[in-house]
Amino acid sequence: MNTLEKTGGFSLMNGRFREGQLPIMAHLVVGYPSLEESLRTAEAYIRAGVQVLELQIPFSHPTADGPIITAACREAVRQGVTVRDCIVAIAALRKRHPSQEIVAMSYLNRIYAFGCQRFMGEMEAFGVQHLLVPDLPVDHIDFPSFQNLRNRRVKLVPVLAANVSDARLEKLLQMGFDFFYLMSDFKITGSAFGLHPRLREVIARVKSHPVAHCQSAYAPFPRVGVGFGISTPEQARLVVEDADLAIVGSALIQAQREGRLDAYLDELKNTFARATECA
Amino acid sequence: MELTQTAYKDLILGPEEGMAYGGTFVPEVLLPSLHEITDAFEEIKNDECFVAEFHHALCTFSGRPTAFTPLPRLSAMLGGAQVFLKNEGLNHTGAHKITHCIGQILLAKKLGKRRIIAETGAGQHGYATAAVCARMGLDCTVYMGRKDYERQRPNVYWMELLGAKVAAVDDGDQTLNDAVIAAFKDWVAHPESYYLLGSAVGPRPYPAMNTFFQKVVGEEIRRQCQAATGRLPDYLVACVGGGSNALGMFFDFLDDEGVTLVGVEAGGRGSAPGEHAAKMRQGKLGVFEGYHSYFLQDDDGNIAPTHSVSAGLDYCGISPILAFLADEGRVRFETASDEAALTAVKTLARTEGIIPALESAHAFAHAFELAAQLPKDCIVVVNASGRGEKDLFITMRHFQEESLRDYARHLLAF
Repeated sequence: MNTLEKTGGFSLMNGRFREGQLPIMAHLVVGYPSLEESLRTAEAYIRAGVQVLELQIPFSHPTADGPIITAACREAVRQGVTVRDCIVAIAALRKRHPSQEIVAMSYLNRIYAFGCQRFMGEMEAFGVQHLLVPDLPVDHIDFPSFQNLRNRRVKLVPVLAANVSDARLEKLLQMGFDFFYLMSDFKITGSAFGLHPRLREVIARVKSHPVAHCQSAYAPFPRVGVGFGISTPEQARLVVEDADLAIVGSALIQAQREGRLDAYLDELKNTFARATECA
Repeated sequence: MELTQTAYKDLILGPEEGMAYGGTFVPEVLLPSLHEITDAFEEIKNDECFVAEFHHALCTFSGRPTAFTPLPRLSAMLGGAQVFLKNEGLNHTGAHKITHCIGQILLAKKLGKRRIIAETGAGQHGYATAAVCARMGLDCTVYMGRKDYERQRPNVYWMELLGAKVAAVDDGDQTLNDAVIAAFKDWVAHPESYYLLGSAVGPRPYPAMNTFFQKVVGEEIRRQCQAATGRLPDYLVACVGGGSNALGMFFDFLDDEGVTLVGVEAGGRGSAPGEHAAKMRQGKLGVFEGYHSYFLQDDDGNIAPTHSVSAGLDYCGISPILAFLADEGRVRFETASDEAALTAVKTLARTEGIIPALESAHAFAHAFELAAQLPKDCIVVVNASGRGEKDLFITMRHFQEESLRDYARHLLAF
């Protein structure tokens, strides 16, 4: 198993983590196992202190997801969860948690069917600042039908892997993307844990480049989340030695399904509490 | 800008994305592999040596050119136009699929690829892929929905005999879509492999690349029709699942205004959702499996189930190139039902001694209606994209159910 080298990484005491928050982007499928239950799951994530809540709009054929998320999507679709239902759920969470960071995730066809402009308008209205579309390379919105996905307040999140070329990475950085999702290795969601040897170099490169076109004189550096195959709290802790966020999806859904979500979240909190004390 | 018809060919095979449809809607991780294939395709398009090697393999391995056959008894029976068929079923492995498999495997070889991934529905594309991989000595994995795996066992057997690994996919509806998705996931995990996609669908460059390889069909028809009748056909009729056989037949004639191009989709059992695969009749614009085109889907953007008696047409999307040509009014779309296709198999078998694949039978079913209404000096050419032997157990169940049961009992006695 490849792991990131531990020397020279950012330490947990660098002050990158907001007080009482876990450097975790916690994923759930809206409408799985039911709309109400998924909202309760979101509340549990927020109570545990996850920095970012990732809400996936279910799709009948999630082409880049593994078996656990695929099954969750299909179940939600079977129950007839609409894009509108998902927006209502996001609105409800936003009302109760005005400052919680929320990232929306959807395959392109559901956004397209809903209407790109209308969808982005809803995201903007409910303070969703980032949108992750796994089957849309972020700069492939040249077709007239997709140009409305270009939005100043709701930014797309590039999903990259270790095979991204230097030129491509440079281009995306120049375009001003400020949140990068890196795949831990070449695999689908819910696979076994392992980090690609080149990942660390890609993270460092992204993080060394102030966000382009930023209005502020003190342009922040882009944030990096690493996902795909992170299933244990210890793996999440290892990932944030270099990245800003560990992205956990399938493992949380699995825990929820087996009725041990609270135990999993407690373990996550304990792992990061211990790590902070030790550092 | 007013497009002249000559511009269609350039637009479709040109290096720029000139159409409103198509694109590269895939996870970013696949872009380097797709760019590598796109660059290689741009190079080989104008490489005389590559094209010569491709045509040599078509002749020596697949048996091209395929026959252009007049159908006098059928034409007389219909009482209208003269009907001809292009017998793509005479290709090695039994259908037109082998043509783009040969093209792509030569490209994969050129790129130094050692492992091939493919999806298959009925098994024809998988069978053809397994054959070219065996011939080239390349490792081959074919994904097939569990349901297709169970109902198309003969093709699973052929693929395995050819040395391919056939992976049954248990996700979702366990049919072609799930096989495509499984193949994409394999590619994400192994981006150094080559994905040999089996129709004129998917992300760039597959729609144009498979059209480029398949266009030999129309080029042969042009020569053969001239030789047989002294002129060009009035109508070309092809069935449409993804669109590879139709584009192969139509491409060379896109400039010829006098030639009407007709695509026939699977009308299945009716027009209710899930009962057919008629994208151009009931599909809506969408993005799925890497490309922007018409898809059968519900109002909220979920992909709809499809049905056709022929597995090869039982698919939710249509080539972005055909979608474009339909919008332009250059290709006309019709449907034929399961029942009409089965009847067409029998009609062609009894009048002309040719058993078409159930997919191709959809084209015949429509062509019979069309030809009957046309004057005798009209020429209609139908693409027999595959031969019907592969449908043994499906057509036999319809035509001679008791006989099939007897045979099954006989086999079970082993």
